Amino acid sequence: MLGKYFQGMEDVIRPGEPDLDRLDRTRRIGWVDLDAVQRSKILVVGAGALGNEVVKDLVLFGFKHLDVLDMDQVVRSNLNRCVLFREGDQLSGKGKSDLVAERARMLNPDVEIKPLQGKVQSLGPKELTSYDMVLGCLDNIAARLHLNANSYYSKVPYIDGGTDGFRGKVQVIIPPVTPCLQCTMNRSHFRVMEHRFSCTGQDTVFYQPKMAAEITTTSVVAAIQVREAVKSLSGMDVVQHVMYYDGLKGTSDVLLLEKDPGCPNHLV
Amino acid sequence: MVVRVRIRNAETGATVDMELEGENSVEEIIEGVSAYWEKDPGAYVIRRGRRLLRGQQKVQDLDLTSSEELELIPDPEGGSR
Repeated sequence: MLGKYFQGMEDVIRPGEPDLDRLDRTRRIGWVDLDAVQRSKILVVGAGALGNEVVKDLVLFGFKHLDVLDMDQVVRSNLNRCVLFREGDQLSGKGKSDLVAERARMLNPDVEIKPLQGKVQSLGPKELTSYDMVLGCLDNIAARLHLNANSYYSKVPYIDGGTDGFRGKVQVIIPPVTPCLQCTMNRSHFRVMEHRFSCTGQDTVFYQPKMAAEITTTSVVAAIQVREAVKSLSGMDVVQHVMYYDGLKGTSDVLLLEKDPGCPNHLV
Repeated sequence: MVVRVRIRNAETGATVDMELEGENSVEEIIEGVSAYWEKDPGAYVIRRGRRLLRGQQKVQDLDLTSSEELELIPDPEGGSR
């Protein structure tokens, strides 16, 4: 320790100095590649429950370059699980992504976060290739499939989170190595999708059910998504391939998947 | 070939035995037990030990043996609204 005093002015240390460094405690985690984390450009798709928690965790962890996409505005019933929204936001006329970006800058003014207003379907390979990683914080299967296919095609890692009441799931998709989200889906998923998009003959009706959602499961799932992002960027092994969380039992299981030979995302 | 496997409902812990033929698919198992337990419409998957089975896989390709236990798990799709 004393040796440091004799190596030049730059190495002079002062009592309490580590506490001046915002990320000192993160730096103490030996395997975290903080440079890679801070250099990376992350896209968060969805600025609702999971999106709020994911952005909060990314910013506090030390990520510096974020874009966040959402098409919605805040409603008062969002406030039971969205840490970055405030009473009155529902009257502000601002989009969720604008509010999330605004509040994220309050957590750390150094973060570069760009709000994007729009649908998931606006994201194609051209848009996605500029990112190092995509974190999916969505609420429906069709949007997930779109993001999954386009990020897989663009070879951008995609970490998908999902919740339903006290249950949650995180899948880590690293193209072209791992199976993708579509590989895990079966007729029950497509039936849900069909139910959401019903064609009346004149129009397509999008049915958006109100799902059970609360903060404890949301925060667990979001934290796992961000942790897997940090692990991947730091060159650590990530969850293979999907983690299911049961908040009522207090259990989680990591399950293996295999690529579906008929999945169109693996034919390219 | 007929095998009799036990399916566990991850949400309730309930079990039911199901007779399967080689041609049956994992999707048919999901539909069969979902109907039996009158599950809410939603997405489900089947777990076998540490593996998640693909919906299109056939029983004959899985080498399922009698008295094996599979588990029906809801696949959460919420998270934004």
